[in-house]
Amino acid sequence: MPGMWTLETVQKVEAVDHDVWVQVLRLMVLARKVDEQVIRLCRQGRIRGSSFTGIGQEAISTAVAVASEPDDLFAPCIRNLALHLGRGETPLGIMRQVLARPDGATAGRDGNIHHGRLENGVYAMISHLGAMISVVAGGVMAKRRHGKTSVGVAFVGDGTSSTGDFHEAMNFAAVFKVPVLVIIENNHYAYSTPNSRQFACRHLVDRAVGYGIKGVSADGNNAAEMYVTVRDIMADIRVNPRPVLLEAETMRMRGHGEHDDFKYASEELLLLYRRRDPIKLALRAMKAARLMDDNAFAAMEAEIETEVSAAAKQALAESEPSPDTLDQGVYADA
Amino acid sequence: MREITYLQGIHEGLQHVLEHDPETVLFGQDVGAFGGAFKLTEGLQARFGEDRVFDTPICESAMLGCAIGMATQGMRPIVEMQFADFITTALHQLLNNAGTRHYRTGNAVPIVVRAPSGGGSGGGPFHSEELETFFCHMPGVKVVYPAFPSDARAALVAAVADPNPVVYMENKTCYRSIKEQVDDGVAPLPLGKAKVRRRGVDATVIAYGAMVHEALRAAVDLQASDGYEVMVVDLRTLKPYDLDTILAATAATGRVLVVSEGWKTCGFAAEISAAITETGFHLLDAPVQRLTAPDVPVPFAATLEARYRPGAADIAAALRQLIEF
Ligand SMILES: Cc1ncc(C[n+]2csc(CCOP(=O)(O)OP(=O)(O)O)c2C)c(N)n1
Ligand SMILES: [Mg+2]
Repeated sequence: MPGMWTLETVQKVEAVDHDVWVQVLRLMVLARKVDEQVIRLCRQGRIRGSSFTGIGQEAISTAVAVASEPDDLFAPCIRNLALHLGRGETPLGIMRQVLARPDGATAGRDGNIHHGRLENGVYAMISHLGAMISVVAGGVMAKRRHGKTSVGVAFVGDGTSSTGDFHEAMNFAAVFKVPVLVIIENNHYAYSTPNSRQFACRHLVDRAVGYGIKGVSADGNNAAEMYVTVRDIMADIRVNPRPVLLEAETMRMRGHGEHDDFKYASEELLLLYRRRDPIKLALRAMKAARLMDDNAFAAMEAEIETEVSAAAKQALAESEPSPDTLDQGVYADA
Repeated sequence: MREITYLQGIHEGLQHVLEHDPETVLFGQDVGAFGGAFKLTEGLQARFGEDRVFDTPICESAMLGCAIGMATQGMRPIVEMQFADFITTALHQLLNNAGTRHYRTGNAVPIVVRAPSGGGSGGGPFHSEELETFFCHMPGVKVVYPAFPSDARAALVAAVADPNPVVYMENKTCYRSIKEQVDDGVAPLPLGKAKVRRRGVDATVIAYGAMVHEALRAAVDLQASDGYEVMVVDLRTLKPYDLDTILAATAATGRVLVVSEGWKTCGFAAEISAAITETGFHLLDAPVQRLTAPDVPVPFAATLEARYRPGAADIAAALRQLIEF
């Protein structure tokens, strides 16, 4: 039954080094608290437009960030705050980004989730879903040409798997044996569109067969399973370069963005996944394995909350970019 | 000095950058052992190896995405579109992904997209398009369009050296028909600089790509038939375009005809016409005229395409009207 910890998962928890496991929990909590802060700012009307969070999906990005190496490259999408944070972006950086501050990753030239710092190996997404998979593949091809053992990870949604770009990039990476892990975060909805209206195959991972590549499924809310799965895949493709498709089953626990009433969401799925919150599941398992206790967890939460609210306060005190900078930087200087 | 064709000019430009910059790669459909649909890349894979010059599946969007990924990691990818027409399946990669990236993130995207363009030889609606307007409309993207072999070679080198996404338009009818004496020294073409190809006092033609050659023919014919002296400006770079040279050429004659084989409405010729009117109205003795393709898909039949595409006779007729305005 979902939500229960099987013997196998507990064994996976124990197989993971203690520090790594605390790192995983901490990053999930950090992402959750930063997302909650973003939601507060959005509700207060301090953010232009809507806000998009990854609440309920933190285990997937967290697993990747923790398993990654410095030279790896990433194409995060909408629900991957934990990836940004795990690769070196700070809560202050996120606050500046969503508040369009000059010192944010895109300096107010772009907003919300459209950011990434190449120095962290993270490509800033464009909205056009599916377009970034080939970018990360090209980046990895360049890294490998330069003698690095980089691998790439691209994150897409169930809806994104329907785009032509997804297909082009999967096939391209397969033909060139590019070591990219493409993770479909199947959160059951693409905006309001359910899986039943999105694809007609049984499982999205079945598409791997058509590309001639390996396909793997994992429980996207089980941080232990996610971590072990992506760690093993990344280690494998690092030495045996080729793409892998991973379908991680999860659930978007809020509307598409904060503007969305989410009326279309299935009560049944919400109920199920409320019990399967990735942080709760991980905490329970860690407690059972005596890797964490209530006091230590409360201290972790308090420390993170302090950092996040200080970040919001600081970013709020800064101003938006000067309009005089409007036309600067469209081109790189020749 | 030796004579080379326009196609050889591009080939030599590619050869030059592949030889001098180990970060350059060239990829596209059938560009490897086969040598490309126009045999333009023939021999390059044999010379530089399969990891520098390689074939891709038919996936224009993934090709450009891959190039963006490579360029942001220090490489200098050159992507060949087999025909410019097929870039429309990947416009978002150029407009949204490459074009916005430096502005949004500060990361430069030095890619070159080769776009074999233009009609005149029965390519029909999907192998003849002239899409400079699409590219020039994109912030963050540069567009070059050489008309002569030496410029084709030098513009390729300059496009690769530029840290921005550059669409390198190359005209298919010029490939083997346009020849020029060149020497072996390859210097990059300064981007954004037009060139006056012929001096004149009665009217000015502003053109680019294959239309430069049609305009030069028209100028010769008009001189023979009517004694008119027509100035011909070859823009060479469409974005950024060389407004100084355009205005100087406007001042020299007071009458300007902009010629393009692209479509008329909202086309690049309209941009040039507007720029002259905005900043050089006082220099004009007559309204700026446009001679372009009509707003019609590029037709297949020779009779239809001859009517569709501006030629020397059409240009001469338009010039006569303009001079006698
Ligand atoms: C090519 C493209 N078409 C439409 C959109 C508008 N859009 C943004 S997010 C979204 C749904 C995405 O669903 P999914 O891929 O499942 O990701 P999720 O939001 O569930 O994480 C849509 C339709 C877009 N950004 N890009
Ligand atoms: Mg989804």
